[in-house]
Amino acid sequence: MRRILAFSGMTVRMLARRRTIWGVCALTALALLGIGLIPSYGVASSGWFVLDLGMSAMELGGLVLAIGLGAGIFPRDRETRILLPLLAVPLSRGGYISGRFLGGAFVQIAMTLLWAVALMIVMLARGLPVPGGFLVSCALLGIEGCFLLSVVVALGFRVSPPLNAPLTFLGFIICSLGRQDFISLLPGAPGAMGLLWTALPHMAVFHVKDAIMHGFRVPPGFVLLAVLYGVSYTLLTLSLAYASFSRRDLR
Amino acid sequence: MKDCALSVEELSKRYPRAGGFRRFPALSGVSFELDRGEILGFLGPNGAGKTTTIKCILGLLRPDSGVLAVFGSPPASPAVRARLGYVPENPDYDDSFTPLEYLSVFASMRGIRHSDEASRALLGRVGLSGWGGTRLRRLSKGMKQRLSLALALQSRPDLLVMDEPTGGLDPGARKEFRDIILEENGRGASIFLSSHILSEVETVCDRAVILSSGRVVASGSLDELLRSEDLWRIAYTRGGTAGSESVHRAGLQDRIDALRASGAEIEEVARHFRSLEDVFLTATEGAAR
Repeated sequence: MRRILAFSGMTVRMLARRRTIWGVCALTALALLGIGLIPSYGVASSGWFVLDLGMSAMELGGLVLAIGLGAGIFPRDRETRILLPLLAVPLSRGGYISGRFLGGAFVQIAMTLLWAVALMIVMLARGLPVPGGFLVSCALLGIEGCFLLSVVVALGFRVSPPLNAPLTFLGFIICSLGRQDFISLLPGAPGAMGLLWTALPHMAVFHVKDAIMHGFRVPPGFVLLAVLYGVSYTLLTLSLAYASFSRRDLR
Repeated sequence: MKDCALSVEELSKRYPRAGGFRRFPALSGVSFELDRGEILGFLGPNGAGKTTTIKCILGLLRPDSGVLAVFGSPPASPAVRARLGYVPENPDYDDSFTPLEYLSVFASMRGIRHSDEASRALLGRVGLSGWGGTRLRRLSKGMKQRLSLALALQSRPDLLVMDEPTGGLDPGARKEFRDIILEENGRGASIFLSSHILSEVETVCDRAVILSSGRVVASGSLDELLRSEDLWRIAYTRGGTAGSESVHRAGLQDRIDALRASGAEIEEVARHFRSLEDVFLTATEGAAR
């Protein structure tokens, strides 16, 4: 475990030094600041409007960040040949996947927290109330971001970064559809589509912003289940990545 | 199986052809051994299968058939890899890191005690004194190669696998690398050295294996490979001009008599030793035909 943690620390340092990551972070922060200007134009009920738009920006920023963090990790390691000495020292392939993912997940969560703080500052500066449960809602967005990162990392073993981004984006959209919308993609096979929808992860599980915007309390049991749901799908995705990578020849 | 550092028996590996279903053989029945404390030169033209063999040794490729053992165990086992050091060909590490950072992270991953002093000493040994805190983007290709060597030596490996370690280095740096190889061998490490530079192999290796088109076409100690039992060299002077020629043993006496009859004075008759380049070219051209 210490080896994996050492490797994930190296991954954090590597990712934190990439300009593209800071670019995504800065763009999202700018979007949040821009959303903070909305009350100036007198939009009705601007408090929940700012929160709704802000958290949507955070979710989208999380998706873009996950792609930026994960899509190039394996192809880049392979291209620079660092992969060979890494796997020649006692770092197993499972250790490689875990270390890279944990490092990426750390950056993903840190950025989500940073955006959450930025959104809170924007709301407080505008005199808007920050609802209870705001941080819980942001934490669930962080879990969602980590799951998306696991998808990007898993795809990274099979497809190039330019293909990884649209595939992840497509997956995100599909996993955000409700049951009826999903079935309507292929209305001729409602049973099979219904089963497939059930098996797919649902991004809606991580969205509690509507509840907190309207002053509802989010039950701790639901939050715990949502976290377990995200962790389970993340582990499943990483297991698939391991199955794909463990027996692969590194030519 | 014999207790040796590395044992390869009938190793075969096929690669799929791009865009097709047929597979071409990269290695076909490759066998050799590296005894403990020995330096083995691994030679072959481009595409002969040297890097494929090395990747099989490191557990990065799975052979289609054959048996491969490092210190008597499968190469992928963590216990074996803890005893390995690997110097890759043309490494290009993440250039936002410094050599000291790389050494620190690799030490943690290997589970060995790390100190800045030890890392600086190691960097000094490979000729990177004063460069420990410099980002890799500012280092030359040769300096990155030196870092590779430092990373490989960090754990004092029992088996050092080197894939073209001196490619792209200047002659001075090559000599430093050779000296380090000999020092490591002196403390008991076995060395597997894949190289294109024949003079290097001739200087440091105890034995050599020559690979061509995925097959071993020659192997043995350097004495065995360089000595030609059938050829003898006659050095002579005739009319004040020195000359020499190589003659098959069966015709040696007749040729000496003929030279003497022509007025030549025989200076020396000695067994003919070929250069490693002669051996390499003869073996690989013979295999190509």
